This record gives sequence, C-alpha cells and structure tokens, in this order.
Amino acid sequence: MFAIIIKELKLIRKDKRSFLFLLLMPALFIVMFSSFYGGSGSGAVTLHAVDQDQSAASRELIGRMDRAMEVKLDDPSSLEEQLGKIRKGQYSALLVIPAGFESGLKQGKASSLQLYEDPSAQAALAPVQAILDSISNQYRDQKLAAAFAAMGAAGTRADQIMASPIHIESIPTSSDHLGYVDQVVPGMTVMFVFFIIITMTRRFFEEKKTGLLSRIRSTGIKPLHYLIGMWIPFVLTVIAQCVVLFAFGRYVYGLKLGDIAALAVIVVALSVAGTGIGLGLSFLVPGESAAMVITQVISMGGAMAGGLWMPSYLLPKFLQTIGLFTPQFWAQHSLQNVFAHGAHTGDILGAAAILLIFGAAGLLVAFLRLPGFLRSAAS
Amino acid sequence: MKPAAAKPETLLEVSHLKKAYGKKQALKNVSFALKEGSSFGFLGPNGAGKSTTMKILAGIVKADSGSVRLLGRDIARDPRAASRHIGYVPQEITLYEKLSAYDNLVFFGQAYGVAGNDLKRRIGEVLEKTGLRDRARDEVQTYSGGMKRRINIAAAMLHRPKLLILDEPTVGIDPQSRNHIFEMIRELNREGVTILYSTHYMEEVEALCSEAAILDQGTVMTHGPLGELLERYGNRSIYLEAAGLAEPPRDPLIRGFRKEGSGWILETPSVDEAMQHLLGLATRNRWSVKRLEVVRPSLEQVFLTVTGTALRD
Repeated sequence: MFAIIIKELKLIRKDKRSFLFLLLMPALFIVMFSSFYGGSGSGAVTLHAVDQDQSAASRELIGRMDRAMEVKLDDPSSLEEQLGKIRKGQYSALLVIPAGFESGLKQGKASSLQLYEDPSAQAALAPVQAILDSISNQYRDQKLAAAFAAMGAAGTRADQIMASPIHIESIPTSSDHLGYVDQVVPGMTVMFVFFIIITMTRRFFEEKKTGLLSRIRSTGIKPLHYLIGMWIPFVLTVIAQCVVLFAFGRYVYGLKLGDIAALAVIVVALSVAGTGIGLGLSFLVPGESAAMVITQVISMGGAMAGGLWMPSYLLPKFLQTIGLFTPQFWAQHSLQNVFAHGAHTGDILGAAAILLIFGAAGLLVAFLRLPGFLRSAAS
Repeated sequence: MKPAAAKPETLLEVSHLKKAYGKKQALKNVSFALKEGSSFGFLGPNGAGKSTTMKILAGIVKADSGSVRLLGRDIARDPRAASRHIGYVPQEITLYEKLSAYDNLVFFGQAYGVAGNDLKRRIGEVLEKTGLRDRARDEVQTYSGGMKRRINIAAAMLHRPKLLILDEPTVGIDPQSRNHIFEMIRELNREGVTILYSTHYMEEVEALCSEAAILDQGTVMTHGPLGELLERYGNRSIYLEAAGLAEPPRDPLIRGFRKEGSGWILETPSVDEAMQHLLGLATRNRWSVKRLEVVRPSLEQVFLTVTGTALRD
C-alpha cells in the first residue's frame, strides 16, 4: 500500500493537467470573481473630489470626508475631463470644492460645494449624500456652538441645547452577510476540489487499459490495499490544493483564516468527501467521457445550488433546499463561518460529519464495485 | 563413483484448468507440469488460451475449475504466498511511462515485498542484467521498444522468483533487443530460475526451451521434452540437391516430397535406408549431387501436425 501511495504521489506531481485544474484555474477564477465583486463596490463608499481651493479649510473638509468614505482626489485643472467620466458612467459623482471656500467660511458666508451626480446611480449616491449631509450638519453644529458661546452660554449648556433627543445604540449581531473575499475564495476552492474526480477516474481507467492493474494484482497486493493506496494520495493532493488556495486568498486578498484547527477539520472532511465521491464514480462510470460529464454536473450543479457562486441566502428558496443535499453547501457554509463569523471546531463538527458521510458513501460504492472492476481489468 | 544427480522436483503442476468468459470457453482442459530449473515453452496460435493460462498462474484470473499447485501448495488458497515465488511478465508493456525505470523498479520491488537495501541491491543487479544502468533515471517514455521490454522483464525479477512466467515478451522489438532478452532468460535459467515462456514463434521455443506444450482451442494437445515431440510428430526427411534434377527421385521409401529452394525435401519413414537408396540412385544416374543431408524435424512441423493448418480468427 505504501508503495502505491508513493508511486501515485510521484505521478500526480508530474501531471500538468491536474496542476491546471486544481490550482491554476481556481486561482484565476478567484481573481476574476474578486475583480467583479470588489469593483462593484460591495462594501466601500467612494467619492471623487476636486479641490480648487487648496486651503487648510478644504483639506480639513477632505479629511472629515475621508474618515467616513474613500475620497479620491483628482487633478483640479482637469475638471472637464472628470465631468466627462460622469457622462461615460465611470464616476457616479464628483464633488468640487470651489476656490474661495476657506475665505467664505472665515467671512461667515455659506460656502457652496458642487456635487455633480449621475442620477441613474442612486444606489451608489445615497450613502455619499448621507455622509455629506452629516458633515454639513457638523459644520452647522460648530457654527451654533460658536454662536451660543458668543451669547454667553457655557460649553455644557450649549451642548445640552444642541444634543439630539434621539440616541441610536449599535448592537453587533451575527449574520449571513459576507464580504466578497469570504464568498469568492472558499467558493472557488470548494468548486475546484471536486475536479479531482476527473483526475481520479482518468488514473483508474489508465491502469485498467494499460494492463498495469492486472500486473499489480499478480504481485499479490490485496485489492483493498490497492484501493486505499490509490485513494490516499488524492486526499493529500486536495488538502494541498486547499492550503495553497487559502494561502493565496490570505496573502493576496487579506482573507482572515480564523481558527486554524477548525479550518483543518473542514479541509480534511472536504478532501474525504471529494475524493470519496471520485473513488466511487471511478468504479461506477463506464468510461472517461462519462466521468467528465458527471464531474461537470457535480461541480457546476453543486456550485450553483451550494452557494459557491453567490451567497445561499440570495438564491431562490427551492435552490437553497437542494443545496442542503450537496457537499458543496456544507463545505462553503462551514468555511465561511470560520473565516467571517469566528466559528471554532465545535461549531463546524456537524458540517464536517456530513462531509465525511458523503465521502464514506463514495468509498462504500468503490468497495462494492471493486471486484467487478478488477475482473473487467483482467479480461 | 559419482553420486546420482538429484531428480528435479516438480515445481508447478497444472491440472484440468477450465475457464469461460461468458459463453466463450477459453480453457477446456489444460494440464501440464514444470520441473524445477526447466525452461518450458507454451506454444499455441492466437486465441488458444495461452494468456488466460498465464493469468491464472499469475493469480490475476480465477479458474472456473481445476487446480494449480506450486511446490505442492494450491495457489488459490494463498495467492500472496504464491506471488512471492512467481514473477509475471505480461504481454503488454506495463510500466509507468512518466516515471523513470528506477522508480518503476522501486515500485514493483516493493509491491513484491522487497524493501530497503535489499531492494537497492536487486535493482542494481537487474539493471546490470538488462544493460540499462546508465539510463535508469530517464523516464520510460523516452526508451525504445526493446528497452521497455527489458525493463518490463526486470520488474518481475526483483524478488528472485523461482518461476518466471513470460507472456510473449518479444513482441514488436528489434533483433538485437530480442537477442539480449534471450541471453537474459538463458542466464536466469542457468541460475536456477524455472522459465515458462509463452509464444507463437516456434524458433523462440527451439532457441530457449527444453520442454514444450502445445495449446489449441483451450486444450493442451501435447507436451513433453522437445526431442520427444519432434520424434513423435515430426516427419523424418532428407534434403537432396543435385544439378539438373528437375523432378524428385522415385523410390518406395520416399513417401512424400516438396520443392525447397534448389532441391527437394523427401519424406521417408526410414532415413538411414533412404539415404543408402538415394546414394545408389545418384551413382547409377551419375547425378552431380551438391547436398544430401538429413533434415531435423522442426517444431513448426510438430505444431502444424498437432493443430492443423486451418486459418484462425
């Protein structure tokens, strides 16, 4: 058995096709989907601004805005060019701080800032407008406080007059809402884990077709040892695949890995699930072409229903129900709990057990079909 | 007085093997025995059941009935123990082409239960025997057909088997590689390894084996030492080549004839008497005789006599 494990690991290392499916393609998909989700502004609020005043007051205003959203300063001499970007749909808004802003403030006059908007981008504009209104109110409150001070009201008395009658208390609660990195990195990793099925079926059919399987049998190796010896290298390969892709997510996209022990449990359970299903299919399908088709159905269908491409809560109800019967759902759900919601080993044991059951089912099918597979190889 | 040489023991005894694949009866009745240290040829046309027999002996396929006893023990009862004494070289080149020859030998050696320093030593020895020590670290896919065949054999030798089963090991290779393989097999046989060599090439059995069995349509038609088979089934004949001899000579002892090159093959039940008659005829008729010699019966003759000349699928 040990000889088979070492031999398979050597062959897997030399298989360039597997490298493409198991590492390169998922990494590319992560980059692609991250660009899509990250570029659609699913978290940060961004505002382009032009500072024509270039004064201490305008810089202070920009600083206040920057604390609440991402402010990108453009070249003040190219206002027309920036306005052109709104027309082209590249910007949803542009704030212009006109020359004379500081002098206006010092003279106690109202300073007018121009917010050029794309009316069709209301979803993106709403938070910008809310933040700007809030900053405008801050300046008003400062003005009022100064006025009260001039009228002789003490600082505390002025604060009491200006305090809002409504107080909003923030209470952090767990939710299914996720950042795009917590969706894309585990999603693509889990999807491509199941592509190991193609590699596995190809290996078994090759051994059968070339006569190697028969020759190995002539050495007296027990069929069960052969099965386990061929299976374990693929388990190790999938574990390595997950480690590499999660490390990629960590160092390129800042994915927070959370509890490493919990993560390790899920990765091992996922590896058993993917390779167990692969082993069962290898002895069930009539040939490599059938294996390719079935792998696509399992990988893509499972990815869709299991919430790998988008969060499960965004899927139609019937798909969410179907997802519960896929290993992909349990893998994705438990990984996201670890990455985004601080789950520990005890929190993911249920999902890990379900993944192991999927794997065990595949192993059982393989065990039952093995004698027939060996007989067909011998004849 | 020299002590009598010990009679070789029976290493392998195959009794009444039967095997069917669906409706096709691949083996109907296969029985033969191998003495320890012998070199045994297993001849038969395509589809005769040679490979099926080899696979049963190697433990890959189970016979429907019959038995195979190795050193007196039924191999079906303990296939693992039997595999320790048997090395099987399949007809196909069954190697991991993307791995080096060395890695292939490591794998098969370990599969046969050889490990550690013993395995390293054995790999060195078989690489030396196959003449491939310098190419051991190259991937098998870079090898020629002959080289692949040699490693294919080497992989079955690592555990020092008592019996080496070779199923048509020289298919599709050049004469030099074939010759090298023959030398390897002869050397192994000299070292005491019993050889079971399956082929449909008569000259290979004649070159390598001291005994043979002829299989046809799943049944062993005949078996025994080569000399006995030739004696029993081969036609005795004389080759006569003489200038101007357009027709074969007439004589009561000449039972059949055929043209061969510039002369005639004359079949006769009694070579000695026929030679005397022909010499008499040559003298009386003043023939200019170029060649007159006894033709040894060939295995091909034996084969065709036993199996017939009808074409096979």
